[in-house]
Amino acid sequence: MKTLMTSCAAAALLATGLSTATIATAGAQTMLDGGESVDMVLLPKFLGILVFDQANEGAMEAHAELENPGELLFLGPTPENSVAGQIEIMTTAATQGQGAVLLSNNAGDQIVPAAQAAQEAGTRVVTWDSPIPSGDGEDVFVAQVDFGSIGVVMADMAHSILGGSGKMAVLSATPDAANQNAWIAAMEEALEDDKYADIELVDIVYGDDQAEVSYNRALALVDQYPDLGLIMSPTTVGIQASAKAMQDEGLCDQVRVSGLGLPAEMVSYTMNGCAPEFALWDFRDLGYLTYYTAYGLATGQLTGEIGESFTAGRMGEYTIEEDPSREGARRILMGPFTVYTSENVEAAAQ
Amino acid sequence: MAERSTLATMWARVQTWEGFLVCVLIFIVLMNTALSPQFLTLSNQINLFQLSIEKIIVALVMTFVIINAEIDLSVGSMMGLAACAFGFLFKAGVDPVLAIGITLLIGLAGGALNGVFIAYVGLPSLVVTLATLIGFRGLARVLVEDRGITDFPLWFDNLGQQGLIGPVPFALIAFFALCALLWVVLQRSGFGRKTYVIGTNREVAAFAGIDTARHKLILFTASGLVSAFAGLLYAARVGAVRGDVALGFELDIITMVLLGGVSIFGGSGTLVGTLLAILIVLNLRNGMALLNITGHIQTGVIGILLIASVLVPRLNVSTLFGAKKHEEGSA
Repeated sequence: MKTLMTSCAAAALLATGLSTATIATAGAQTMLDGGESVDMVLLPKFLGILVFDQANEGAMEAHAELENPGELLFLGPTPENSVAGQIEIMTTAATQGQGAVLLSNNAGDQIVPAAQAAQEAGTRVVTWDSPIPSGDGEDVFVAQVDFGSIGVVMADMAHSILGGSGKMAVLSATPDAANQNAWIAAMEEALEDDKYADIELVDIVYGDDQAEVSYNRALALVDQYPDLGLIMSPTTVGIQASAKAMQDEGLCDQVRVSGLGLPAEMVSYTMNGCAPEFALWDFRDLGYLTYYTAYGLATGQLTGEIGESFTAGRMGEYTIEEDPSREGARRILMGPFTVYTSENVEAAAQ
Repeated sequence: MAERSTLATMWARVQTWEGFLVCVLIFIVLMNTALSPQFLTLSNQINLFQLSIEKIIVALVMTFVIINAEIDLSVGSMMGLAACAFGFLFKAGVDPVLAIGITLLIGLAGGALNGVFIAYVGLPSLVVTLATLIGFRGLARVLVEDRGITDFPLWFDNLGQQGLIGPVPFALIAFFALCALLWVVLQRSGFGRKTYVIGTNREVAAFAGIDTARHKLILFTASGLVSAFAGLLYAARVGAVRGDVALGFELDIITMVLLGGVSIFGGSGTLVGTLLAILIVLNLRNGMALLNITGHIQTGVIGILLIASVLVPRLNVSTLFGAKKHEEGSA
C-alpha cells in the first residue's frame, strides 16, 4: 500500500512538471537495497591477466556484501579469440536472460549489435576499464580515472622523487600507442608549470611493451645520460623492467624508477627504494564499484539517468554524469589515482 | 540371421566417418537439450549459426581446396581486408553498393593472385598463402589504421543483424544456398570429380588430360571471392570494422574441414562431412557457452576433437576388429 502511494506521488510529481522531477532525481541519493536476486556476468577482455582477476575479486566482494542470492560469473574469451569471444559471451548472456553484463570492452564498436540485442532482452550493459567507443549499447561506463589528470600525477611523482630538480627520461610502450602518447603529452604540459622548472625531460624511448626490450632500453638510457635521476614509465611492463634493470646493475641509488605499475609486481622495488613511488588505479575497487552500479541498474533501483547518485558500499557516493570524451555517453568517474609508496604498497600487493 | 545382417549394415554405416560424426552430433544435441532450457529456442538456434556464419561459409570452399591437396591460409586475412576495404571506401564517400562490388573484385583478384603463384609458378600453397596471410592483413591495417570504422547505412547493418525471411537472416540463407550449390558441384559434377582426381594425384590427372593449373586457379579465385563475401557479412553483422577483423579465423575454418574427415593430403572427404563437422563445432560451442564454459576450456575441447579426428581414422577400427576375429578363430 505504501509502495502504491509512493508511486502515485511520484507519478503526480512527474505530471506536475518535468523540472520538479529532474530536481528530485538529481537531489536523491540512492542507498541500494541488498538481497535482491540478479544473475550477472563479469566479462574481461580476455582471461589470464592479473588486473582482471583483481577486478573480479572486487566484484565478488560487492556480491557478498549485497547478499545477492543470484550468481556472479567470471567469463572471458582466450586472448587470440578476444573479439569474437566477447561477442559470443554477450549474445549468450542475452539468451540466458542475465541481469547485467559487466564488460571491459576489447571489441571496439563491433560489440554494439550484440550489446544492443542484450539491452533489448533486458540485460543491462555496464562497461568498465575500456568502454564502447560510440557509447551505443552501453548503459554507463565506470571510468577508473580521468585520463587528463595522469600528466599531473606523473609530474608530481617526478617532483617528489627528484626533490624538485634533476633529469628524467620517459620509457614508453610503442611509438604509436595512442593512450601512452596522450599521457606523455599531458605530462609535458604539466611540466611547463613553474613548480617543475628545474626538472628536465631529456629523452623519450620505447620498449615495445616487451620486458627484455624495455630492460635494455632502460640500461641504454643510463649509459647515454650519466646524470639521469629518474626513468618515468607509464606502462606496467616498462616500469617493472626498468626497476629490475636498475636493481640488477646496482644503480638504484642514482636512478629511480616511477610511472604506472601494478603493486603486486612492484612491491619489492618499492620496498628497496628502486621505485619509491608509482601510481595506478585499484582494479579491485573498479570491480567493486562496477558491481554496485550494475546491481543497482539490474534490480531497477537505479535508472541510469545523468545526475543520479548512489552509495557504493565502502567506496562512498558516486554520480552518473555525461562522459566528456564520448558525446551522448554516460560515465561514473571512480576517481583519483592511487599513489603507491612503501607505506601502502604491501597491503595492495596481496 | 536377417536381423544380424541389418545390424551389421548399421554398424558398417556407423563405422564410416560421416556415420561417426552423426552419432557425435546427436549426442551433443541431446546433451545440450537436456542441460539447457534455452538451447532449442529459435533465437538461440539462429544465434548459434550467426556467431560463426562467416567461418562456416568459407569452410565450404576450403573443403574443395583441401580435397585438391592444397591449403589456403589467407582466408582470414582476406575477410579482414574485404571488411576494411569496404569500410575505407564507404568512409571515402563511395556509394555503398559500388563499394560492395569493388570489395568483391578485391577478393577475386586476391584469390587469383594466390592461384597464379600456386598453379602456374608452381610454388607450394602453404608458402604462397602464408605470404598473403601476412600481406592481406598488412593491407587491411594500412587501410583503416588503428581506428574503427562504423556508422554504415542502416540497410547494410540490417542485412547482417536482422531477419530477411521471418527471423532468418540473409547470411544464413546464403550459407544453406551455397551448401546446396557446392554439394552438387563437388559430388555430382565433372568439376567435382576433377577436384578429387587432382587431389589424389596431380600427375595422373594431368596425364588424363585435365588442365590442373586452370582448376587450381579457379579454386583459389573462388576461395578469395567467398572470403571477401564473408568479410562483408562480418562487417554487416557487427556494424563496424577494424584492422583485426577475422584475425586467426583460418585456423577455425581448417579445423572444421579436417574434423569433417577431409584428408589434409587431398583426394578424400565430402561436403556432408564438413557440414556435420560445422554442426558439431557450433553446437558444442553453443552448449558450452550456455553452460557458462568459455575461454580456454572451449578451445581445449575443440582441440581434443581435432586430435581425435586425425587419430581415429589412423587407428583403423576395422583392422582392429578383424585382427580380434582372427584370434578368436585360431583359438
